[in-house]
Amino acid sequence: MEINGNTLILIVLILYLFFSSPGGNGVSSKYEYNQIEKLKDHLSSEYQTFQKMSFRDNFRNITGLKLSYQDIITNPSINATYPIAGKDYDNWIHNQTYELLPDEIIQKISTKVWNVSDNNLTNFYPPNITSTLMGQINLVSNNEYSQLRMPVPRYFEPATDFAQDDPPEGDSYFTDWPNYGELHNVTFQKGELSIQITHINKVSDTISGYGKKFFNSQDENWKLLRLRIEFFDKLESEKHTMNPIAIYDIRRGRILSMSQSSKFHSLFSLPHYMSVGGGLDKGDDETIFNETKALINDYWNGSNYIDTLTMGDLDTLYDNALSKCEYTVFLQLAPWNQFDKDQMKKIDEELNWPLGRPVNLTKLPPVSIQSGLLYSPDCGVELQFNDASGVRYELKVKTIRSHILLGLLLFAGQIYLLLCQMQHTNTPSSINKISFYSFSMINLVDGSLATLYLIASSVLPELYLPLILSSFSSFILASIFETRYLISIYTSQANERGVSIITLLRGNAENNDEERVTNADIPDDASIGASLYGRFFFSLIIFTFLILSSTSWPRKIRMTFEYICIIILNSYWVPQIFRNVIKGLAPRRERRRNNSPINRRQHQTPLLWKFIIGTTIIRTVPIVYVFTYSSNIFRHHRDPRFVVFLSLWLLFQLSIMYSQDILGARWFLPQHSIPEGYIYFKPVSLAHLAKHEGASKHTADCAICMSEVPVYIEEAEETHNIDQHSYMVTPCDHIFHTDCLENWMGYKLQCPVCRTPLPPI
Amino acid sequence: MSSSKRITKELSDMGRDPPTSCSAGPVGDDLYHWQASIMGPPDSPYAGGVFFLSIHFPTDYPFKPPKISFTTKIYHPNINANGNICLDILKDQWSPALTLSKVLLSICSLLTDANPDDPLVPEIAHIYKTDRPKYEATAREWTKKYAV
Repeated sequence: MEINGNTLILIVLILYLFFSSPGGNGVSSKYEYNQIEKLKDHLSSEYQTFQKMSFRDNFRNITGLKLSYQDIITNPSINATYPIAGKDYDNWIHNQTYELLPDEIIQKISTKVWNVSDNNLTNFYPPNITSTLMGQINLVSNNEYSQLRMPVPRYFEPATDFAQDDPPEGDSYFTDWPNYGELHNVTFQKGELSIQITHINKVSDTISGYGKKFFNSQDENWKLLRLRIEFFDKLESEKHTMNPIAIYDIRRGRILSMSQSSKFHSLFSLPHYMSVGGGLDKGDDETIFNETKALINDYWNGSNYIDTLTMGDLDTLYDNALSKCEYTVFLQLAPWNQFDKDQMKKIDEELNWPLGRPVNLTKLPPVSIQSGLLYSPDCGVELQFNDASGVRYELKVKTIRSHILLGLLLFAGQIYLLLCQMQHTNTPSSINKISFYSFSMINLVDGSLATLYLIASSVLPELYLPLILSSFSSFILASIFETRYLISIYTSQANERGVSIITLLRGNAENNDEERVTNADIPDDASIGASLYGRFFFSLIIFTFLILSSTSWPRKIRMTFEYICIIILNSYWVPQIFRNVIKGLAPRRERRRNNSPINRRQHQTPLLWKFIIGTTIIRTVPIVYVFTYSSNIFRHHRDPRFVVFLSLWLLFQLSIMYSQDILGARWFLPQHSIPEGYIYFKPVSLAHLAKHEGASKHTADCAICMSEVPVYIEEAEETHNIDQHSYMVTPCDHIFHTDCLENWMGYKLQCPVCRTPLPPI
Repeated sequence: MSSSKRITKELSDMGRDPPTSCSAGPVGDDLYHWQASIMGPPDSPYAGGVFFLSIHFPTDYPFKPPKISFTTKIYHPNINANGNICLDILKDQWSPALTLSKVLLSICSLLTDANPDDPLVPEIAHIYKTDRPKYEATAREWTKKYAV
């Protein structure tokens, strides 16, 4: 490569960006460095406090836990500055004097959520509950409880000017901020809930550099989970999400989770709240506290919590503090008493490494939460739900895998049909009758599928192989077969560019005064290919971005977009119907009547019926599945009415195409609107031939191949055995072989001899 | 292949009725690669020179024009240093009714009457338009140097 000045500047710029990019922790200024150091100091000192704490101790100087519900009742404008005068720091009891939760909530937890009084721990709960649970959530109240004041340390604030090096001190309270209440409320009564559960059982070991290590010393009884909780109203006008850490009590089926942000360092409070529900034997509280504290310690040390903090974490903590309510989440899992420990172990192993162990995986019940309560101390919002369930993640992956493989079959079917179709139209004149736009639409869909599969494969590593395979096969279908076919269609129609539709429809050259723009330069295959590939990838990228960004649009707009897209992309036969009209296919009976070999080639349907029906079915099956099967893998809502509408629309297109086949392509147009096209195949008179100096031999000279053309002459009896379809007479009275002129008309619609414009066949 | 049939036909026509002041024929056994020569037209500064051209027929001849270029160096507004010729019938105005001998005749007349309004070498076209004697002198000099 030749390096000129511009390239050099570009290279230097890229190198500069590369080397000047912030290091592993994302710090890019002195201010940010101080911020992150402050955060580390802060968390370390809180961790020290946590280490010294026993179950009987109150929280001391831990952010978000300095006030209790009673404090705010007594003095609504109390500031959370440690130490608070008169606060009892040496005791801890489950009531609102010490906890964030009002007594009513504590009562509800013990009676409605964690109420399984099972002191002998006879219920069995599955140790691995990776899954995504779906359910309905109800708002209980959003104004009944006082809102706890949770200040944000001011060092989280971004720098206000470049010269600033030291983050500000102190705390800021949200009541000072405008519009606080609007963001921090739940206003719908009933909503959708989704809880995604993943286990954190290993952490990346950055110190030794050896990938992952397991850290949980309490594995038998306690699990650390990462939840992703989302709840939103039907229209998705209001959506709440959080991504908290949770502790799962395997023996009791309890899950406790608290959101984390810069105003609520809940990691240190989980052990205390794990026993909120009560109903436990005396002394259990303390055991639970000690075991879960050990779990938190394992996680803290194993993940190098302090050392691995980045600017990204800091920003997330701050954003969450500003934009979201903090939640404490109490969940009770439904027991799986039909299994015991050994069976469950076998099932887990089979799910992880499928070897065909004798377990019936289809009988595996869904992971389900029988009751749950969400309470936000700083917003005073209480939500409750019953029965959220979902199948085990591994089982779900299995279903998705089988669906993807079925999709692969569809791709294979489409490739086969396309090959048949390509075989069917192997001459330029037959391929000319196919609509470029029909295939462009089909191609766009397949191409976007390829990119979407590719993107999905990077998001879902478990399904990498089948997804990549699907992506690859749809890419082959779209970019090799379909685009090749598009190139030949485009090439065969290149001579029509610039010719108006009316002229094409008329197919005659009566209006010669109408200036016809003949294409000056017929591009060759390579440049057509290049431009088509360019167009293909450009529209593909645009379309893919549209689809990806549409997933974050509001539900109403998104659905409209989806429906319109599906309708438009499933109108792929409309351009072909239009094309049939332009090319004027004769009715089937007429085509059957004159079935000389040339004639048959001239007048067969451009698309195989096998291809038309097959393609339609292949393209409709997935849509029908997604829209009618309510537990489909995309969690798409059910809408059979739309499917019926879409099928009717497709059937309508098919029936129009069929009627064109039977009755002729232009049956629905009034006769007088389209005059008969020019007929190239006609007998020649002797007088006409005399002009071509071939009258004596009853032949004309074909200027293209420079050999003789035998012609049918009305006056000469002996020439009547000559097929009139073997030669063509142009409107300017020049005579050529049919093959020669058809070939040339693939390049240009112009008479080779006198350059008069020619009507298309 | 129909293209070879047509090229053979043109070759025999060329032998039967050779055009004045040009000749052409295949190089070796390859029917698709020809060499041609043009005598400089007497009423032009190229008089007395013999110019050689190389001709490549595409496989889809006569639907695509043949590729023709001068192998002899020539000073002309429509012919560049690589010998490429700027002639409309060799590009978008090609018609399958044209033959090689007709094209060679067109090139001959291009030598007599250059087309400076659609030049391939703008410098020569500029001299052609502004200082005709200088152009003719240089053309004569080049002819003497390369084509005699």
